[in-house]
Amino acid sequence: MSSLRELQAGFRAALLDEAEARVVSEIIDDGLGASARLAVYRHHVFTSLTDALGTTYPVVCRLVDRRFFGWLADRYVRAHPPASPCLFEYGGELAAFLAAFPACAHLPWLADVARLEWAINGAQHAPGATPLLADIWRSLDADGLAALTVQVDRSVTLLESPWPVDAIWRANQAGADGAVDLVAGAVRLEVRRIDDDIVLRALPAGSFALRAALAAGRTLQEAVDRALLAEPALNLAREIRALLDDGMLVLPG
Amino acid sequence: MRPGDCGIGLRAPHVAEVLEHRPVVGWLEVHAENYMGGGTAIRTLERVRAEYPLSVHGVGLSIGSAEGIDTAHLERLARLVERLQPVLVSEHLSWSVTGGAYLNHLLPLPYTDEALAVIADNVARAQDRLGCRLLVENPSGYLRFRGSSMSEPEFLNALARRTGCGLLCDVNNVYVTCANLGGDPAAWLDALDRAAVAEIHLAGHAVNNADGRSILIDDHGSPVADPVWELFAHALGRFGPVPTLIEWDTDLPALGVLLGEAAKARAYVSKAADVVAA
Repeated sequence: MSSLRELQAGFRAALLDEAEARVVSEIIDDGLGASARLAVYRHHVFTSLTDALGTTYPVVCRLVDRRFFGWLADRYVRAHPPASPCLFEYGGELAAFLAAFPACAHLPWLADVARLEWAINGAQHAPGATPLLADIWRSLDADGLAALTVQVDRSVTLLESPWPVDAIWRANQAGADGAVDLVAGAVRLEVRRIDDDIVLRALPAGSFALRAALAAGRTLQEAVDRALLAEPALNLAREIRALLDDGMLVLPG
Repeated sequence: MRPGDCGIGLRAPHVAEVLEHRPVVGWLEVHAENYMGGGTAIRTLERVRAEYPLSVHGVGLSIGSAEGIDTAHLERLARLVERLQPVLVSEHLSWSVTGGAYLNHLLPLPYTDEALAVIADNVARAQDRLGCRLLVENPSGYLRFRGSSMSEPEFLNALARRTGCGLLCDVNNVYVTCANLGGDPAAWLDALDRAAVAEIHLAGHAVNNADGRSILIDDHGSPVADPVWELFAHALGRFGPVPTLIEWDTDLPALGVLLGEAAKARAYVSKAADVVAA
């Protein structure tokens, strides 16, 4: 008999790769064969992970239809099994997977819809944080201000696409008619959680560049440079004020 | 929570209704991994916790993994337990992680001395970090390993002796396992160390066809089956009044259906107490 470690590696190969040889000889074959018994476990692994992906990516699932989604989820699970038992965190590579998946090549916007759904999922599960409101800002003296570390609210994702993914997403919510004008063109979106609501909004180029740079951990100076490059006539004072008013900046912790 | 109190597994679609109507039910149990994010779910659960005794049931710690338990995941579980202060914390006699991949299922262990040493180390480590006794649940079985040298109850008893952990006896799993792998479910219960049993689970199962043979699947998708209720009565006779939980996950019905099942379980507990008193 193999060691427990070998047995578990063999079991994984049997479930994910259909390579049963290593583990079949370890299983008692009474009445029902070892393969049929392994299939019970495999079926649950794949259906439950497909359900988890469908929960995180309901619009992608609707766009390709449920049966096709089941097939692509099967391929995805084999290539990217979960690294954590928290299934709300599972599926972060789906957008990249879809972008390279030949069977979806005729749906060029699909990967960006997946990026949007991943951002929404992240916003739903991100830890809450204390917004850095203007009165905290004002209460600090020069030293306190200099020592202040801020970060962008972790529920925030800034997402840019050549496709109107927000319109595609809205058109595929319950009760919507599914009609989208695909030539509506590129979008720059901010996705975040405010209180208990997920908020999607389109931003102009300068605001987007400023916020995306801050969210990526750039300094204020770098973020401002990028914002002005994207939109030379940007009203910077108004943009910085909006960062505070929107509660975008939070205290680390 | 009193020993014979009956509860239900709280699932996301029922949370708002529970908070609004505060139904009478002994206690509630949640799956730990659903509350490890930082969003609204955990804050809502804290409001539930203020009203009901709560049990935290882990499904992902993989205490049977030969490579050891994932430290980061144990930390997340510990933080959740600290935050919720549950009355019970439980996991499964199974594994799901190998080579860093999480195979989302309660996968079977060979019942060997080697596996016992592995799982006992993992349980001891988990209990040290959690600062409480862990209850370990018998899984539903679909295969047996040739190398097993102990029965499932013998293995569980040995684990409880070695680590001081408690046992969560899932009566439906006992029924499913014995139907699929052979064995008398009442004898299975009789073999379990009665003093270690601190919780009972009940759920429905499905009957599927595999290569022309029927196989029972623990899908938590229907009312508790009649023979499982009978087995529950046997379990109560052996273990005494133990906190008992109704689990339902697939095709989740209205909250009232689960509460009805919990009330039925409670009636079995009362009847068993009458038998003991008489």
